[in-house]
Amino acid sequence: MVSAYGRRFYATKPELAAHRIEAIGYQVGHQLIERYTMERPRFNDHLEVIKFICKDFWQELFKKQIDNLKTNHKGTFVLQDNNFRWLTRISIDPSSDNNDGSQGSSSEATNLLLYFPCGIIRGALSNLGIPCAVSADSSNLPFCSFMVRIKA
Amino acid sequence: MIACVAVVGHQNNPLYLQSFTGADDALKLHHIVHCSLDVIDERVNNPKRSVITLNESYLGLLYPTESYKVYGYLSNTKVKFLVVTTDLDVKDTDIRSFFRRFHAAYVDAVSNPFHVPGKKIISRIFAVRVSGIVKAFAPGTYG
Repeated sequence: MVSAYGRRFYATKPELAAHRIEAIGYQVGHQLIERYTMERPRFNDHLEVIKFICKDFWQELFKKQIDNLKTNHKGTFVLQDNNFRWLTRISIDPSSDNNDGSQGSSSEATNLLLYFPCGIIRGALSNLGIPCAVSADSSNLPFCSFMVRIKA
Repeated sequence: MIACVAVVGHQNNPLYLQSFTGADDALKLHHIVHCSLDVIDERVNNPKRSVITLNESYLGLLYPTESYKVYGYLSNTKVKFLVVTTDLDVKDTDIRSFFRRFHAAYVDAVSNPFHVPGKKIISRIFAVRVSGIVKAFAPGTYG
């Protein structure tokens, strides 16, 4: 799906493709969270919601929990996954480092791919009443970290 | 006898309202549901710790008036489910299991990729399922 959006639909405009993929992830997260929070009692505060995302939600989606959660107690959380399931089989082209600093196609594809889980997290959190912005960092595959900034 | 069921979104926008009385009193039911929303907000914002726990989904009897009772249920995503019933004695467990089934049907309807979150639920299958749940509830004294 990601490659369809990246190469075919918006081949010349990667920002639009990224936006679209993130929006799809948003809707998916929105609907999934409704299903997964059905049996639970209601949450008391933001930290409980994030912990739910790290444990139960991640477990349902990726069959493992988030390995590390950091917060600055001011509305920013960093979720670290040591072995992000969707990136474990991505090949890294070792000859993609150019002197002029242009990105290899593999890291571009990875970036596009990462917009989808960012959208899922954003959709899940906003359906639980927490508007936020999510960004992903994958400098060291398959280790991946997602930064969640809660909009006050 | 269940008079009507309603689903209200987290901005108090109506997502679904279905009446089962046969009479043409949709407006009156809308009004009842609207008043019950205020009761829900009150319960959620000022929790009486001795009566209701903070993070319970099922809110119980909200609004008993002369001819009907309204029961409420709040999901984690701030979606409110309301049931207006004209029965005089309904067991708590019956209503709880009704809400569980209602919530399950709602989740299935919302997972439809063609459903726009925030708009009204137009799925016919959802309507059929809800009617089935209501019919199964009416004569039931078992949960």
